[in-house]
Amino acid sequence: MVYLAMFHWGWLLAALLLGFAMGWISVVQRGQGITKKAAQWLAVPIVALIVAAVTRAVPGRFGYWLDLGLAMLVAYLVGCAIGSWLRDRVVSRQAATGRSGGATV
Amino acid sequence: MHRLFRWSSKWWPGLIPLAILWVAAAWTATVPLEADLTAHAAAALKDSVLDKATIATAGRDITFSADAFSEQGRSSAVASVEAVPGVRLVNDLTTLVPETKPFVWAIERDVAKVTLSGSVPLPVVRTKLLEAARTTFAGTEIDDRMNFSRSAPSRFEAAAALLIAQVGKLKTGKIAISDATVTLSGMARELGGREAIAAALKNLPEGYSVANEIHAPPYIFEANKDPVAATLTLTGYVPDNAVHAAIVASAGRKFFGEKVIDKLKASVGEPANFTEVVTRMLGVLSRLSTGTLVVSDRNVSISGDALYDAAGSQIRADLPKGMPQGWQAKAEVSVKPAAAPVDSTVCQQLFADLLGKGAIRFETGRPTLDADSVGLLDRLTETALRCPTATIEVVGHTDSDGGDSFNQTLSERRAQAVVDYMVKAGMPADRFKPMGYGSAQPVAANDTDEGKAKNRRIDFIVRQ
Repeated sequence: MVYLAMFHWGWLLAALLLGFAMGWISVVQRGQGITKKAAQWLAVPIVALIVAAVTRAVPGRFGYWLDLGLAMLVAYLVGCAIGSWLRDRVVSRQAATGRSGGATV
Repeated sequence: MHRLFRWSSKWWPGLIPLAILWVAAAWTATVPLEADLTAHAAAALKDSVLDKATIATAGRDITFSADAFSEQGRSSAVASVEAVPGVRLVNDLTTLVPETKPFVWAIERDVAKVTLSGSVPLPVVRTKLLEAARTTFAGTEIDDRMNFSRSAPSRFEAAAALLIAQVGKLKTGKIAISDATVTLSGMARELGGREAIAAALKNLPEGYSVANEIHAPPYIFEANKDPVAATLTLTGYVPDNAVHAAIVASAGRKFFGEKVIDKLKASVGEPANFTEVVTRMLGVLSRLSTGTLVVSDRNVSISGDALYDAAGSQIRADLPKGMPQGWQAKAEVSVKPAAAPVDSTVCQQLFADLLGKGAIRFETGRPTLDADSVGLLDRLTETALRCPTATIEVVGHTDSDGGDSFNQTLSERRAQAVVDYMVKAGMPADRFKPMGYGSAQPVAANDTDEGKAKNRRIDFIVRQ
């Protein structure tokens, strides 16, 4: 896995940044996300793919592409989490500043 | 954490560009990744001793096939590939190099090239043998058809290297090892090559047996008697300097009237009983007026003209007798035309001339004719035939060694032996009078060996 990360660091960084951007946006985005039920359904194939990757059930290039895809997904999710968390902090700070500023006026 | 779940429900739109990114990554990185893993796997196998090693990479999975020379080497090579960083699965198609029975290795030399074939136990052995062949046969094409087998006999490399050096001594031929049996066939480059190879094969490692069928160029000895130039020319080969000296000395005794021209060279490779046969055949040649003796390996050919009919018959009849086993003799002997008769005076002069050049020799202290004197006896017989009406006194003399009565008897018996030889040659016995004077009529002082040698003699005196 270390080798995979080192060999594809550029692509993983790109996935991380993509995730960061998506996470940054998602905090302030209006509208509903996917439902909990849909998320559960979505989790099923992802878990299945993870199991396939861990058990090395998929051979050859398809196995490699599966590993790469999952690694990029992880990088994306980590990016999303960081992006959302940072945006949330920024938004919270701005809101706190706005409230304190309003009180002084 | 709750908020994270809430935000994550809105992360899904990013999966679409992520998927595009993933496809792009897979599209561009797959081939370089495979090449990188292949290079690393090959580097990991650098120190492994393998044959036909191939590495095929699909994604991060490696299909590894090779022939290993031991189970330990095989498992170690597979572990090395498995340990390469980034490798996910290793499809192990390795096998062990087969064992062959019998284990055969061969080197063959023909006019154009040298071919190495059969099995060798390890690549390093193969390389060393090829290097040895290239050194031995510099400038000759080396055809490597060797493959691998694990069942080599002990110390195979040393044995094979020694045999490569032996093939260098062959003009054409083949040397093979089959388990621990070495077979050699072919033609040696030089005279004595077979013996040189046989000597070198004694250095083969213990446990190897040898079947040597190497042939060498014929071992030739020739002697040509030229009565016009009064020469005996010796050409060809003799085994060593001692035999050389012995043969030349023997020729000197047998060919009393000819100058011996010695062009012999020393070389090993002579057939068994060579010296014995050549010495005997020189005796036969000495009986011919003109003739050639050719000894080629174990074949003897003698041709020329005998001095008289009975001599020709005797030579033809006696030649095959007493030849050592494996030898063959062929005589093409005709008879020289009889010389014109001469009167008694000339006859006496001819006898004196012959006996002036050479003396009839006997075994020491005995009346038995020495084989070296047969040529002289034939010439004396031929001369006697030219004066058919004359009576000839054959007179024996001795030196002063020994008692008078012994010398008297010995001189008479020696004279009788000479007469017997002539009678056997077809002359009437009543033409000869054997006589003996012991040491009573010396022609030189008996106080030196030289003088004694002159006194030990047979005289021919022609009477009307």
